[in-house]
Amino acid sequence: MRVGGRSALVAISLGVLAWAAAAAQAKELTFWSHWAAELPKREFVEAVIKEFEAKNPGTTIKATWYEKTALYAGLKTALRAGQAPDIFYAEPDQAEYMDNGFLLDLSGLDWSKVEPWAKEAWTHKGKPYGLPLEAWTMELYYNTKMMEGLGVQVPDNRQMSPDAFMDMVKKAKAKGITPMALGVGDRPYPGAHLTHEALVKRLGTDDYDKLLRGKLPWTDPRVVDTLKWIRSLTEAGLLPNTFSTLKLAEAHVYFHTNPGALTFLNGSWYTSRAFNPVDKGGQPKDFPLGIMQFPAVPGAVCNECRTIAIGGSYVANAETKNRKEVLAFLGTFLSQEVGNRWLEKVQVQTGIKTDASKVKDTQAAAYFSMIEKTNAGAKYYFGIPIQVMTGKPKEVYIQVFNNAFPAGIISVEDAVKQQAAAY
Amino acid sequence: MGEAPAHRDDGLRKPWGTIVAFLLPAVTIYVALTAYPAVRTLWNSFHKVLPRRDEYVGLANYVELAGDEIFWKAVRNTIVWACTSPLVEVSVAMLLALALYAKVPGARFFRVAWFTPVLMSYVVVGILWLWIYNYDWGPVNAALRALGLGALAHPWLGDPATALPSLIFVTSWMWTGFNMVVLLAALHSLPREVIEAAELDNCGWGGKLVFVILPLTRATVLNLIVLSFIGKMKIFDLVWITTKGNPLWATETVSTYVYKRAFEWTTFDLGYPSTIATVWFVIVLTTVLAMTWAFRRREKLEF
Repeated sequence: MRVGGRSALVAISLGVLAWAAAAAQAKELTFWSHWAAELPKREFVEAVIKEFEAKNPGTTIKATWYEKTALYAGLKTALRAGQAPDIFYAEPDQAEYMDNGFLLDLSGLDWSKVEPWAKEAWTHKGKPYGLPLEAWTMELYYNTKMMEGLGVQVPDNRQMSPDAFMDMVKKAKAKGITPMALGVGDRPYPGAHLTHEALVKRLGTDDYDKLLRGKLPWTDPRVVDTLKWIRSLTEAGLLPNTFSTLKLAEAHVYFHTNPGALTFLNGSWYTSRAFNPVDKGGQPKDFPLGIMQFPAVPGAVCNECRTIAIGGSYVANAETKNRKEVLAFLGTFLSQEVGNRWLEKVQVQTGIKTDASKVKDTQAAAYFSMIEKTNAGAKYYFGIPIQVMTGKPKEVYIQVFNNAFPAGIISVEDAVKQQAAAY
Repeated sequence: MGEAPAHRDDGLRKPWGTIVAFLLPAVTIYVALTAYPAVRTLWNSFHKVLPRRDEYVGLANYVELAGDEIFWKAVRNTIVWACTSPLVEVSVAMLLALALYAKVPGARFFRVAWFTPVLMSYVVVGILWLWIYNYDWGPVNAALRALGLGALAHPWLGDPATALPSLIFVTSWMWTGFNMVVLLAALHSLPREVIEAAELDNCGWGGKLVFVILPLTRATVLNLIVLSFIGKMKIFDLVWITTKGNPLWATETVSTYVYKRAFEWTTFDLGYPSTIATVWFVIVLTTVLAMTWAFRRREKLEF
């Protein structure tokens, strides 16, 4: 009895010790991400999480999915309170995270697996802070059948002249078709795509960069002329009447389904919504999707110039107590195989080095083939204006060039004056 | 004789332990959730409040605020909203309450129907009215087109000239029912003998309304106006759901601007948003005290 009692005591003690050791080894990394409603991206990331957990027994990832606005608001308070997750979603324009020392230096990752320009987008004072998962270019999508029906020919180089583009707008309008689906009901940037794609072509990347940073005046005649050209397009009826309140998801549907628009100016992440099943807002199965370049701009010095941007990325909390595990998790993304899986699943470009020729899905392969053609010979400017601007210039830019100017409720002169005064 | 004062002292001795025990929870909650945040906001307004470091900037935030055009646009919009909406809400509510008081046919149905909007959240109301104001298929423009007035069809929330009035209309639609119910209760509590005396004096409906009903419900009306005014000075939800302050800050309110500066501008600084909140608190408090003082000269207000 006494011996049995001792044995039991020893067994229990060993059990407790084993449990305590296991508990000490088990680690849970917290992970907050945007893309709650963007299923392909979410499923891709969830697959990577499972892969990491399988390779690292004892370490689990507790993922929480948000929509972007709610995520950003939550992160601002959580970071300040020292309660932010180990890993979270961010975009490179959020320099305030780096300025305030909230992000972990990710120099320890294998950056040879990342496109140099993508690393550059996340490099701050010589150190890389974000894993650039999502990359995108500005694309002008169009309905090929509708375009044929109007008798409009997209040239071989996929870039219409200013006159041909205006002719297209007028022909569409005459047939009761909205020439371009755009809406700014819930986003601070879609309306401004018109302006920034035109300005980067007219000014070239260097002067365009100076303009956004307040080193070139918005009263520059080249800027004013370009805005007048855009105004002539909007006055010809380029945009839907619901432009001011049309939300991003609704603009997608407006383009491909109801009522149907001729073109749609959007980031190449178009696929993350449009390639969803039809009942989840995706485009019709046989939708005749075409992609062309933004039209040539009168007086442009660089019609091949266009915007490329790093979008959704993952960063690590500088105060994480699990640095080694965090770096290991982020490192799981860094392989050509995972990059190709992103292309296949999400059908958007990535900052991870990939080989698009290995994409097997026919829809994705066709899509990347079109993207490749429109981007042939392109000269890129990195980031859309709201990723470059901060503070008041950014707020004024959103109100003026995302909303009021394309809606036609402010003159070119007033728009220029307001933006110039914001610096 | 000599012991009497001692007895009096014993009787008057306050049970401090009990008092503290009862007050402590409420005082703790008040200090933690109201007093401290208010004092801290005031303190923040004199600082640049960044994570892990605060930097004293004196009156710099106040000086910047004085020249902040967006803030003054937001102030103007909020004041227009707070001054017009209560008047519309309360006057329409009085008409509806009088109709129900007079027992119009279907009064029971109308009482429920008119009160229903206040039961909905601003989120639901915002989405509902985004549809109603939709340019292409919203009922407002559809009705105009059906009546042959298609030229008047309008992007109601997309035009700076109509965006704010359109939102003011929504809040009036939403809150009129609440005011109506309160006024109806006030009407039902009017002293019957006064009404009967007026009727004995051959006072018609108009006379009863002007000389009896309105004077007797004056305190309720003024309370409702002040409450509505305070509510509109803080309006946030509806704007955030529908326009986010667009277009061209035509619907920007002070609350939405504070939120944008605190959480949407690419900065962690809470000093400047705290300055806006402090200045606005002073303006609202002063206005409410002035209204109270003005109204109290004739009526006692309770809110």
